Amino acid sequence: MPRAAVLWSIAALGLTAGSLSFALALTSDHVNEPALQATLMDWVTLPYIFGGLIAWWRRPESRFGILMVLAGFTMFASNLAWTNIAVLHSVGQTCDLLPAAILLHVFLAYPTGRLERALDRALVLFAYVTAFGLELVGMLLGGFGPNNVLEITSEPHAAELLLRAQLLALSACALTGVAILAFRRRREPRPARRSLALLTNSFSLGLVMIAVLFTAGAFDSPGFETIRRATLLVLGLTPVAFLSGLLGARLARSAVGDLFVELRSDLAPADLRDALARALRDPSLELAYWLPLFGSYVDVDGRLVELPHDDASRRTTMIVRDSIRVAALIHDPVLDDEPELLEAVSAAAGIALENGRLHAELGARLEELRASRARVLEAGQQERQRLERNLHDGAQQRLIALALELGLLELRLRDDVDARQVLKEARREIALSLEELRAVAHGMHPAVVSAHGLGVALEHLVARAPVPVRLSVELPDRLPGRLEVAAYYVVSESLANIGKHAHASAATVGVARNNGHVIVEIVDDGVGGADTEDGSGLRGLADRVEALGGSLRIWTSHGAGTCVRAELPCA
Amino acid sequence: MRVAIAEDSVLLREGLARLLADAGSDVVAQCSTGDELLDEVRMSPPDVVIVDIRLPPTHNDEGMQAALEIRRRHPMVGVLVLSQYVELGLAMKLLADSAEGVGYLLKDRISDVEEFVAALQRVASGGSALDPIIVSTLVSRRRAHDPLESLTPREREVLELMAAGSSNQGIADRLVITVRAVEKYVSTIFGKLDLPSSGSESRRVLAVLLFLRG
Repeated sequence: MPRAAVLWSIAALGLTAGSLSFALALTSDHVNEPALQATLMDWVTLPYIFGGLIAWWRRPESRFGILMVLAGFTMFASNLAWTNIAVLHSVGQTCDLLPAAILLHVFLAYPTGRLERALDRALVLFAYVTAFGLELVGMLLGGFGPNNVLEITSEPHAAELLLRAQLLALSACALTGVAILAFRRRREPRPARRSLALLTNSFSLGLVMIAVLFTAGAFDSPGFETIRRATLLVLGLTPVAFLSGLLGARLARSAVGDLFVELRSDLAPADLRDALARALRDPSLELAYWLPLFGSYVDVDGRLVELPHDDASRRTTMIVRDSIRVAALIHDPVLDDEPELLEAVSAAAGIALENGRLHAELGARLEELRASRARVLEAGQQERQRLERNLHDGAQQRLIALALELGLLELRLRDDVDARQVLKEARREIALSLEELRAVAHGMHPAVVSAHGLGVALEHLVARAPVPVRLSVELPDRLPGRLEVAAYYVVSESLANIGKHAHASAATVGVARNNGHVIVEIVDDGVGGADTEDGSGLRGLADRVEALGGSLRIWTSHGAGTCVRAELPCA
Repeated sequence: MRVAIAEDSVLLREGLARLLADAGSDVVAQCSTGDELLDEVRMSPPDVVIVDIRLPPTHNDEGMQAALEIRRRHPMVGVLVLSQYVELGLAMKLLADSAEGVGYLLKDRISDVEEFVAALQRVASGGSALDPIIVSTLVSRRRAHDPLESLTPREREVLELMAAGSSNQGIADRLVITVRAVEKYVSTIFGKLDLPSSGSESRRVLAVLLFLRG
């Protein structure tokens, strides 16, 4: 931060310059309406100097304030042309057009005080050379009246032509500046503050007025003096627009007060983001809590959040309490202009943020629990699938091969009736064992589902159902394996329940995809009143479905049938 | 009868080959994957192929895919699919729009050697062979108004044998009645179920299956 003494000294210097302008104008022998001229010039000069000082004080990291102060003093320097003292008059006259160039510089350098792009730098440099360098040449050529101490040759006609060219070139510069401002505004659509829009408008208007004024000057237009006064009036308004933007930021602090009130009324963690967004006036605000235990940022529900890299569209501000990281605000870069507001809001939200973080941590733990549940299910599923495969490739194949050998033996012993009878008996035993093994294997893992798809598997299930079933499977392609198996179990268990309890005369089974979900629905026309707590069947189904992030709901009422509906998320 | 086999279990594959050799068939190829079988069939089409539904590399539906491919590309080659599970959905997929020269049996059935060879011969000569489990699942399927209730127990037996792909002679042998008697049963059944009588025996299988499937 600049030292207060420096600021106060510059302020004093500014006041002196302002008064001096009056003195210069009133003692001048070549200024018409001196009081009016001095007032008009101070109307522009002083706001730039004082506005610049305020900006410098409040935003020391930006060069913009310094640039405004310099612009103010440059305008004062051009006032020196009013004096009768030849040397000072010559200095002032050389600076006559300089304000136009420095104002272009100021407008294009908002808000950082730097010209970010090459085009801007080239334009401003060109404007400085035209306004100051060529003016100096004009002075050397002996232009601008008798008090010119810089004259080395008297070519007033050439000097006048040169001045005309300068004025036209500067008009073009100003209009190019307007175009650049318009282009920037179009390119960066943001939820800009109204005060910011006002400021850009005042920049553009100022540049247009300068262009009009200089063009009028180049062609010795009759209304020149009126245009000049209007231009000065407009230019003096720009620092006011700038200060109102700063003041707007101060006013925003009252929003912090509102935030306090909201926080006191037991704000739910889910509403904290909205409250902060209102206080910061940034509807795009995102709030991410830091969970040291997980080493990651999460949203209020505990879902992982990736912090964006700071760029033109998003910025991240850390919220730190007692030197411990609590959360991060992801916000519009416009808020960078109001660091105090961000600071005040973060401080006010302290306790609520702690609450929110606890809530988020709970959410993250639940999420982790759900994921581990899904992993356990998945691991169990894989193990069962492996066992089924082993059974199929091992015991079942061997038993079949054995039965085949017995069959062949039976053929060879065609004539030995007793032996044949024994062999036939043995084959029957093997057939029974195979049947049992098949049931066990299917119970472990319905291989047909993973091999041939849900549609094929359901066809058999439905054909063997205890009541007539209408089946409709509307799946454009195969589902992920664990979803197919879960859906298969839902249908299988529900049909078994219908057989046991429903006394139904018909049922329908539907499987379809809808909005990123697989919907499995089994409806019967039975007596209803299915007990969802009784037995582990439905409970087990619900566990399986929930572990996959889905939901299982059962509608049942006495005499009105039962509907089992599972919704499984499926991207 | 020229037979090609695709079965990844060596024990079973060789047992099958021995069984077929004993029965006087010519085993022209023994493969362990569906792709091998397809190559063999392309090079020298046999009368019939025996395919295990579960074949490497993934043991999912490679055998089924090979069977469908042969049905599509080589309609003259009979296809008998063996599996450790029989599923109505797979039977319907395999038959699609024709029961000609196709069979789908539980793997256990090979131990009844004579019946298995008879089924294979049927498939090789353009007939069909469906596992009794498929047929009984279809026959016992619950229906709102079951037209099968109008059938006598004997007619039901004939219907089941018919659906499994048996010829009239086969049915006659099994039930120990004359072929004439079988023909009479068949026409009564078609009349009761209101089915249009169709010419060939394999077309009859599909008609009955589609009717039973509802």
